[in-house]
Amino acid sequence: MEQKNTEQKKSIKNTLFEVYDKKYKLLLIIPFIMLFLALIQIGYQLYSTGDFIQKDVSLKGGVTITIPYDKNIDTSQIEKQVSSRFPKNDIAVRTLRSAGTLVGVIVEADIDGNDKLQVDRLLDSIGDALKIDLSKVDYGIEIIGSSLGASFFRESLVALAVAFLFMGLVVFIYFRTFIPSIAVVLAAFSDMVVALAVINLLDIKIGTAGIAAFLMLIGYSVDTDILLTVRVLKRKEGTVMDRIISSIKTGMTMTVTAIISIIVALAVTQSEVIRQIMLILLIGLIADIFNTWIQNVGLLRIYVEKKAKKGIHI
Amino acid sequence: MNYKIRKLITNWRIILLALFIIISLIAIHPALSKGVAIRNVMTNSSASIAGIPQPKPNVQPVQRERIISLNNAPIDDVESYYKSTASIGVNRTFQIKTTKGAYKLAKTSEDIGLRVYEAPKTNIRKGLDLQGGTRVLLQPEVKLSQFDMSVLIDNMKERLNVYGLSDIVIKDANDLVGNQYIVVEIAGATEEEIKDLLARQGKFEAKIGNKTVFRGGNDIVYVARSANEAGIDPSAGCSASGSQWFCRFRFSITLSQEAAQRQADATKGLTVVYDPVSGRSDYLSEKLELYLDDKKVDELNIGADLKGEAITQIAISGSGAGANNQEAIFNSLQNMKRLQTILITGSLPVKLDIVKTDAISPVLGEGFVKNAILMSLLAIASVAVVIGIRYRKMLIAIPILITMLSEVIILLGVAAFIGWNIDMAAIAGILVAIGTGVDDQIVITDETLKGETANVYNWKEKVKRAFLIIMLAYLTVVVAMTPLIFAGAGLLKGFAITTIIGATIGVFVTRPAYSAFVEIMLK
Repeated sequence: MEQKNTEQKKSIKNTLFEVYDKKYKLLLIIPFIMLFLALIQIGYQLYSTGDFIQKDVSLKGGVTITIPYDKNIDTSQIEKQVSSRFPKNDIAVRTLRSAGTLVGVIVEADIDGNDKLQVDRLLDSIGDALKIDLSKVDYGIEIIGSSLGASFFRESLVALAVAFLFMGLVVFIYFRTFIPSIAVVLAAFSDMVVALAVINLLDIKIGTAGIAAFLMLIGYSVDTDILLTVRVLKRKEGTVMDRIISSIKTGMTMTVTAIISIIVALAVTQSEVIRQIMLILLIGLIADIFNTWIQNVGLLRIYVEKKAKKGIHI
Repeated sequence: MNYKIRKLITNWRIILLALFIIISLIAIHPALSKGVAIRNVMTNSSASIAGIPQPKPNVQPVQRERIISLNNAPIDDVESYYKSTASIGVNRTFQIKTTKGAYKLAKTSEDIGLRVYEAPKTNIRKGLDLQGGTRVLLQPEVKLSQFDMSVLIDNMKERLNVYGLSDIVIKDANDLVGNQYIVVEIAGATEEEIKDLLARQGKFEAKIGNKTVFRGGNDIVYVARSANEAGIDPSAGCSASGSQWFCRFRFSITLSQEAAQRQADATKGLTVVYDPVSGRSDYLSEKLELYLDDKKVDELNIGADLKGEAITQIAISGSGAGANNQEAIFNSLQNMKRLQTILITGSLPVKLDIVKTDAISPVLGEGFVKNAILMSLLAIASVAVVIGIRYRKMLIAIPILITMLSEVIILLGVAAFIGWNIDMAAIAGILVAIGTGVDDQIVITDETLKGETANVYNWKEKVKRAFLIIMLAYLTVVVAMTPLIFAGAGLLKGFAITTIIGATIGVFVTRPAYSAFVEIMLK
């Protein structure tokens, strides 16, 4: 029985390897379907809300109030109570947790922050809902004008486009070939698009920190892609498949290490900025496993095959 | 083993890393500072009258003047400081001992005019979101030239100085489409205080014997600032007198016709005074006094030739002293710039819109710092654990741990050295830099110790191959982060710069040291 079990395991492993080795073109469907679905989600978001992400007040303009608070509360209840006094505005209440225990409450509202009357009214209603006297509490308040958020968002998109262009250029200058460079940039792009779609599906609002996180994804994404491309195109030992397998060993060590430390950071952090960044990185890194080891590998192998047909062996 | 250790400590890559860590620690300067540090000294308060100097903004945090005791009772924290000062009755005198000296104060009102905070224990400056305070982002209503922008910023600094606020950052920020912003950061100030301050129009008045002759705005039409219209007076120049050097500066201003007339009326009845020292009669009996927001900031002698004359173009001159020629020139130009800034105040009718304010209570900030440190340490530890499990070798896990910690220390050292504020975004940047650093360490380990290549190439070749991958990944990250430095009013500048500096230190300092360690210990 024992014997059979290990044999079975072995044969499963062999079949998987077989599929990975031989059917790489077919497997390419997985990352491309993923990318396609993500683009549809983003398209739908754009169509239904007018924006392809859900912006929080740091991008949209409004007020964020952070209050130290340690009693358990029902956020939806508080949200309802505050919203009833601001029927026309978008109010969001979140809790701030550290290692599972409540340390504070965050209230976001898209009211005009420079209108003192409105802000005071908001503070009053929060105080009533939480049953505390805010004048005795050291709360933090952040006000963002709507024009700043909009211009910041536009700028970030420009910065992103320029970043992609530069990246592609660096990779192209080094490898001097078109397809592998495109593959590296496409993998980073896919990571970002998939992460964005998942964030949208999870109904998470993105702020300036989130934009930074999407840019950080570039760094982690290119690490594995460049490792793979250098080993496949610039190394001579073993078959192409051997080089891919050795890249997977190294690359998965990198990704798993990063994912575990991100999970640790997510569990401990109190800061909304860090939480958002880590969550986006986590989703992006999981997507990166598919986009590097199926998408990028597939495209690279197609490239290598084409070269082989022309009589150039890599 | 002994041989290996000797080899380790004589390896130049490891020595370089050690040097970087030592220099960083010196820059961070951890200290067990006692007492409370002085943040601001309010003008005309008991404290400023007693001679407690306003702290200079560029002083390293650890070197700040700290209050150690009050009437010989030790001051340990902010709370005990406020308790002690409150216990002293009004109109009593008391003594404050600081790290720089002892002062005798007379308590004239409840507020003795000192703003204090917990004594900093390192030179790392915490960003506003970590230490509490207010940041305001302002946008000028009309587009300003680079020159006008710098005038405006100088102007704001001058005004905030009048209020005795020193721990303050005012800088300009741009975004890619050319929007202009001004960032004002005041640690430990509340949002109300800043808004109040910024909302006030800079009020400038020049008076002769209590009579206002001109105000900022329409009265002063033009203040000469270009190099050939303003500077060291070529006809007077610099001269030495005893051990001191003196230089004279001059520049001209243009008054409106009405202001010139008021000036003429005010000077009509003045007398020309004879100066026995120079033996000349150059000046009038009253001085032109300059007021900024009702506080006197400077005064000027009025030339005898201006008496009763409605002249619109006036030459303004003054002087500066120094221990040598250079210093005297520098100081007089400094004085000139300050005077010009004061005269311009109000004559730049730019309305500033507040586009963003952040006010973070220090209580929240304190928790954030502790939590951020805990999180970083746990994340770093978890990496070491995963690496340990993967390679089953302490000789790989421990150096990776050391590398990560050295990167944190060096990055913080750089931050302390260039006087940068570590905020949440910068912490995120540090974590990313370290994270991608771990990626590189794994590449080095696998390229040199694992796989079929292990026996094919010599060690040098293998390290070269690892660094090829690392350099390429490094370059890609740097070019991807560069556009962020310039985008969006500098909101992500801290993050982008930290990531780039962190990755650079990694590639050129810590990675070579790690590969040297692996080579010596595991080859």
